[in-house]
Amino acid sequence: MELSEDIKEAKDILQNLIKAKKTIRMYPSNNPIYMKTIEESYEKVNSFLAYKDKLALNIRHNSILYDSEQIYYNTEKEDNLALFFFKDGLREITFKKGLTLEELEEFLKIMAMDFDREEIEDDIVTLLWEKDFQNIQYVVDEAVLIDADEEDYEAKAEEEAMEEASDPEGLMKAYTDASEGEALTSMSIMPITDKDLKMLVREVERISFYDIEKLSIILFETLYQSEEKGDIEDTFILLKEAVKCYMKHGYIQMVVNTMKKAKEILEDPLFSEDIKKYMRMLLLYAGSEEIIGPVAEFLDSGVDTEESVFIDFVELLDKNAITPMVKHLGDLKTIHSRKNFIEALVILGKKDIQTLARGLEDHRWFVVRNIIYILRKIGDKRAIEYLLRTIRHGDIRVRKEAIKAIGELGGREVIQSLKECLDDRDVQVRIASAKALGKLGSDVAKRIILDKISDKKFGERDFDEKKEFYEVLSRWKDEDISNFLVKTLKKRTFFGRLRNYENRACAAFSLGLLGNKDVLSLLYKYKNSGNKLLREYAYSAIKRIEYGK
Amino acid sequence: MANKETAKVHKNSQDIINQLSVILRNAQVHDPNNVAVITAIEKFLSLINPLIESERSLTLELIGEFFYLDGTRIRYMLEYLLNFDFLVREFKKREIGTIIFKDIIKSDDIKKFLKAFIVAGFSDTPYEKVSEGVEESRSIEIHRLKKIKEGEEADVRKVIKKTYFKAVSYTKGVMKKIKSGEKINIKKAKRIVETMVDHILEEEQLLLSMTAIKNYDDYTYHHSVNVSVLSVALGQRLGLSKKALTELGIMALFHDIGKIEIPQEVLNKPTSFNDDEWKLIRKHPIWGVKAILKLKGFDDTTIRASIVAFEHHMNYDFSGYPPTKKYKELDFYSRIVTLSDQYDAMTSSRVYSRIPIPPDKALSIMMERSGTQLDPLLLKFFINMVGVFPIGSLVMLNTKELGIVYESDVVFVDRPRVLIIIDNKGKRVQGSVVSLTEKDEKGNYLRTIEKTLDPTKYKINLAEYLL
Repeated sequence: MELSEDIKEAKDILQNLIKAKKTIRMYPSNNPIYMKTIEESYEKVNSFLAYKDKLALNIRHNSILYDSEQIYYNTEKEDNLALFFFKDGLREITFKKGLTLEELEEFLKIMAMDFDREEIEDDIVTLLWEKDFQNIQYVVDEAVLIDADEEDYEAKAEEEAMEEASDPEGLMKAYTDASEGEALTSMSIMPITDKDLKMLVREVERISFYDIEKLSIILFETLYQSEEKGDIEDTFILLKEAVKCYMKHGYIQMVVNTMKKAKEILEDPLFSEDIKKYMRMLLLYAGSEEIIGPVAEFLDSGVDTEESVFIDFVELLDKNAITPMVKHLGDLKTIHSRKNFIEALVILGKKDIQTLARGLEDHRWFVVRNIIYILRKIGDKRAIEYLLRTIRHGDIRVRKEAIKAIGELGGREVIQSLKECLDDRDVQVRIASAKALGKLGSDVAKRIILDKISDKKFGERDFDEKKEFYEVLSRWKDEDISNFLVKTLKKRTFFGRLRNYENRACAAFSLGLLGNKDVLSLLYKYKNSGNKLLREYAYSAIKRIEYGK
Repeated sequence: MANKETAKVHKNSQDIINQLSVILRNAQVHDPNNVAVITAIEKFLSLINPLIESERSLTLELIGEFFYLDGTRIRYMLEYLLNFDFLVREFKKREIGTIIFKDIIKSDDIKKFLKAFIVAGFSDTPYEKVSEGVEESRSIEIHRLKKIKEGEEADVRKVIKKTYFKAVSYTKGVMKKIKSGEKINIKKAKRIVETMVDHILEEEQLLLSMTAIKNYDDYTYHHSVNVSVLSVALGQRLGLSKKALTELGIMALFHDIGKIEIPQEVLNKPTSFNDDEWKLIRKHPIWGVKAILKLKGFDDTTIRASIVAFEHHMNYDFSGYPPTKKYKELDFYSRIVTLSDQYDAMTSSRVYSRIPIPPDKALSIMMERSGTQLDPLLLKFFINMVGVFPIGSLVMLNTKELGIVYESDVVFVDRPRVLIIIDNKGKRVQGSVVSLTEKDEKGNYLRTIEKTLDPTKYKINLAEYLL
């Protein structure tokens, strides 16, 4: 083959590699286009190596040469293959006969890396070195590693080391001294045994695992030995970074241990106020967005987390963690992580209801509902004032949750609002309000429910809603209610008979719930009623009273 | 994918060496027709014949202390270490450098070779004996062990010297930059250590010899590089991967970075430290932690490097400094760096002890510290690496020649290569390097170390001989 043919072919190979680099960036490795590109590139290089032992590419700043002929030239800073290799010190790349498809693929993957955009720890030379290619060799100019002012270091150091020549007299004296006196009697050879090797294998097997928790242990030791304020501050900054690093990797237990250590310092009178100040700051930092963000990410990643460890972490947090937690609550993707955050906010919210309640202003309905749930779980009456603002929320699910919460928290101030909600446009809200009033259990609440049920318009409501209201009534197990229900059960009308039967069935149902045996004879009377609904509910009530079913 | 493929090739090569060693060991105690020998031969054949079939031949070569299979160096594997060493020793004993397996090998070919190999072990002319034994065989060919040409060695030495000084110069630059608050480039450290790792894998002894010279002004920087070189060399003996060796090398390079906080006048003080100065010195592990963690963000390298910097004076039994409560175990890398650090510091004149201790004496002291300050297991490997008489030891031979230990022998730890500086007539000579493993025709060693001396006491500048 003529020389010019070689060069033409080398140029073609290089262009193909550049094309392959782009394809590799675009497609995943299991894509057919990706695989086809690698195979094509390999075929090209391999067919060249079929008649040549190697393909050596000489790298210059802006050009690549094969056999002293320029086969690539580019003066641009971006997307310049020559510069890409040259800047890290690569001066020659050689593909040798025997190159495997896998080697070329790995090489192309390195070529395809975007060093400007991706977070790549190593330069191209290190990446090539780590691959340990058998059939791709490279020559590196290591002058790039040394600062300009240290270029002649070797000569200077050598001169310095040679400065004092050996003393000829000393040398001869050594010879004389050595000639006299006794020879060595024993030498300490320490043979390596099979047992040693076995022990070593065990050690080497776990070489890549190191105890990352030592980091905080070491930093605390550093802190204990800090004498000046600047040293304490320095160590505090590193401790913050350690906490951040742990959380980034999901090492919650290590964060917990670090925080516990900080707490111990706070409680130890032997530590100075300066150190304590920074420990307080460290604990606050653990609850900041910088840490809570990674917590959210980690929990969402689906990696198994021990719940008790997470709870330990939360219990060590301060109220400053509430705001970032509320913020991330709405972004969490999994039920598991949301559940964890809600539990965390139940714990933390107790420390600052007001801050937690700010979450009620969130534009996402589900966040508001979650916060209401959290406030309900906390059970602090101070939350009522915030909750009351949500009973007019645009979303039914929020209103329902709010009413439920209000009902559980109680207090006179909620009665009026709940009363108003009994007329809400949504049936679920009306039922929830009734139940909430039931939960309150006060006479006023009872009166409100009774009034509502007695209202003419109430009779027009759906049977299911009415039933729910009557069920609420049964919460007051007193004569008032019993009399009211008996009266309703007995009530006959000419007009609106169907509605009346519904009311009577509800009254029977409620009497059953009350469990008063005195009304059994009355219920038996309606057990055989001509109205199916009344008949069924009377029968059920009897069974409930007689058998507790 | 390439990694997997390469690993497979390496594994096969290691298996071949190991199996050959197993055959020879068995054949030395059993008859060639014994089941144990035959089984071992069959396994060996199953490993080599497929390779011979595809490549037409298979060449096993011993160069220096390493085996090469078809030109590719076979790496140490921890499980096979003893068998590797055994084979190196047996090859050297018979002066065999190369075995070429041609055509498909049969069990009988190996048996003939074994017979010749074993008989040669008792011969005064072992190579000739083996050669005679395999002469008729068309399938097995042997060649004599080559000696490294002096010219080639000089070129390699130049390259290695460059690498060493580049590492020192880089370390100096890093420390200066850290002190002035400038940013430093860790990628460069990695590149430098990678080159060192390559040299350790190829020319361990030459790079180790660079660490034996101690009379530089920039002691701290040289010390850091020396500890890195010694640690990587030990790591290599322990069978660590190239990647792990790089990690270890970087961590060792930065182990003393905390010393930048110690005033130069204290560090370079010609006399011993007073209490206050010791107090400062004892703080450098903690300062090291801070300096490393500030280099760049927290990642595995910086975190582990900071652990090593913190632990390298703590001692195996936690009797050192900084004192800590509830510390469970020293990191594996820390235990390696501690050994290298102690050895280099003891044999130097600048740190802790104002008077340098001769290398062999330093090893004796270290042996006394086995199990207390130093990890006993790793110390064993360390001593086997540097040799009983480490490079730079001034030795008197039984031939009445005075020399400096030039290179250690991987297999015969008490029989290094020695540079003769005064001949047996008491005359100074432009020394030649002799191997203490050489024997006369009766099988007796030509030279043996009779006595060790302190080169410092006699004002002998090792740089003149080792640089």
